[in-house]
Amino acid sequence: MIIIRLWNFLRGYAIIIVEGLRIERFINMAISNGIYIWDIKKQSYTSISAKIGLENFGKMREIVRKTDSSIVIKEKRGFPFILKNLKRHKFFTACVLLLVVTVYMLCSYIWMIEVVGTKTIDPKMVMEIVNQEGLKEGVRKAKLDKRSIENKVLIKLPELSWIGIQIRGTKAVVEVVEKREEPELIGKADACDIIAAKSGIIHKILVLNGDGVVKDGTTVQKGQVLVSGTIVRENTETRLVHSLAQVTARTWYEDAEEMDLEQIEYKNTGRKTIQYVLKILDKELGFQKTVPYDEYNEVREEKNIISFGNYIFPVKLISKRYNELVEVPKTLTVDEAKKRSEERLNERLKLQLSENAVILDKKINYIVEKKSVMAKISVEILEEIGVKKRIQAK
Amino acid sequence: MNKKTYKIKETLSNALELPKDIILDVAKVTLIGSDSITVENHKGILEYNEDQIRVNTGSGVLIIIGSKLNIKSILQEEITITGEINSVGY
Repeated sequence: MIIIRLWNFLRGYAIIIVEGLRIERFINMAISNGIYIWDIKKQSYTSISAKIGLENFGKMREIVRKTDSSIVIKEKRGFPFILKNLKRHKFFTACVLLLVVTVYMLCSYIWMIEVVGTKTIDPKMVMEIVNQEGLKEGVRKAKLDKRSIENKVLIKLPELSWIGIQIRGTKAVVEVVEKREEPELIGKADACDIIAAKSGIIHKILVLNGDGVVKDGTTVQKGQVLVSGTIVRENTETRLVHSLAQVTARTWYEDAEEMDLEQIEYKNTGRKTIQYVLKILDKELGFQKTVPYDEYNEVREEKNIISFGNYIFPVKLISKRYNELVEVPKTLTVDEAKKRSEERLNERLKLQLSENAVILDKKINYIVEKKSVMAKISVEILEEIGVKKRIQAK
Repeated sequence: MNKKTYKIKETLSNALELPKDIILDVAKVTLIGSDSITVENHKGILEYNEDQIRVNTGSGVLIIIGSKLNIKSILQEEITITGEINSVGY
């Protein structure tokens, strides 16, 4: 039945009111003439309302005449009348059509590009190259040749081992996999020397293969050969071997930090203002008001306001929050300054240490001046300094 | 249809297990719950009121009594009535 209803909606139908003394006869005649009527309701003792297809309306006249009843159209419904109405409201129709077309058009462009999977490469760099190759915000999806862009980017960025461009709605996701940088492999069969990675005094040298050039207690410079893989003996041919050795040495690390006693700190006063700006594509719409504070920091948040699942449109609401800050001059005591500079020095030291390093001795000297404190750190470290270096075949 | 042919047809439909409503030209009434009734093979409406509808069928006049009765749809061979149905009978 629903198919018939749908058909009737498409063809258009009318709600009629039939009045007469012989309503039943009217209904019977209608169906025997092949007129489909539905939703018949009794209105009063002598009248009914019913729905009838438009195309059958002409046939009704005869029946009406034969049954001595009158017929009034109360309402016209269905697609043809909707169309007629739309024709009357041309401007409205045009607007709706324009909207539909605009949404459709917007859907077929790319409005957002995201780079995922980068580890050491700056995603911005990937983005830039991807942009150069034609994947930009505002590019039509149909025009994109993903394969060729992927290939070109791979050629331009040799650090990448794989790139995949996926389009999800209006967003393009560029997924990259970086090549793992392989260390220069020196195979067991390759001849090599062992050189010093750092300057220091040899603490212990244990040569497993090759000729030890230095002894315990020797002062070595960075880059100096510790164990030679070139073995020269009298009466035999010179051989090249793969050197193996454990070389630990005492090395030194020095650093300094100066800390002013007069410090300026910024404190949040708790007062803030929020400004809203609408960003469409790259243009920011909105009033840029002057911030009523002398010192402030800015917290910026961007939010996509029109998005349907993966279909994101380039309309963003940007809220900028300005927190007022106030300068608080602070005079550090000498002890405080010492403590702070020591903390900084220690932090930097941690970054310098290699994995198996042992700190033997740590000294911090302070030079207290009128307005500042200078801290100098010197650390004695016991660490492995041997590094293999390939012997270039002549 | 005279009585003799009716008898023959009835026997035939019983013997061959054919649907009676087709062979004998009688109405098939389907009542769904108490709010919808479908009469197939009807022969027109005799009376239509909100509380009572009389439908002519091959085996007599079917009387449907209830309240707020509407004719949901009506076709040559089928009529569907909705509303609160209290009783159905011949």
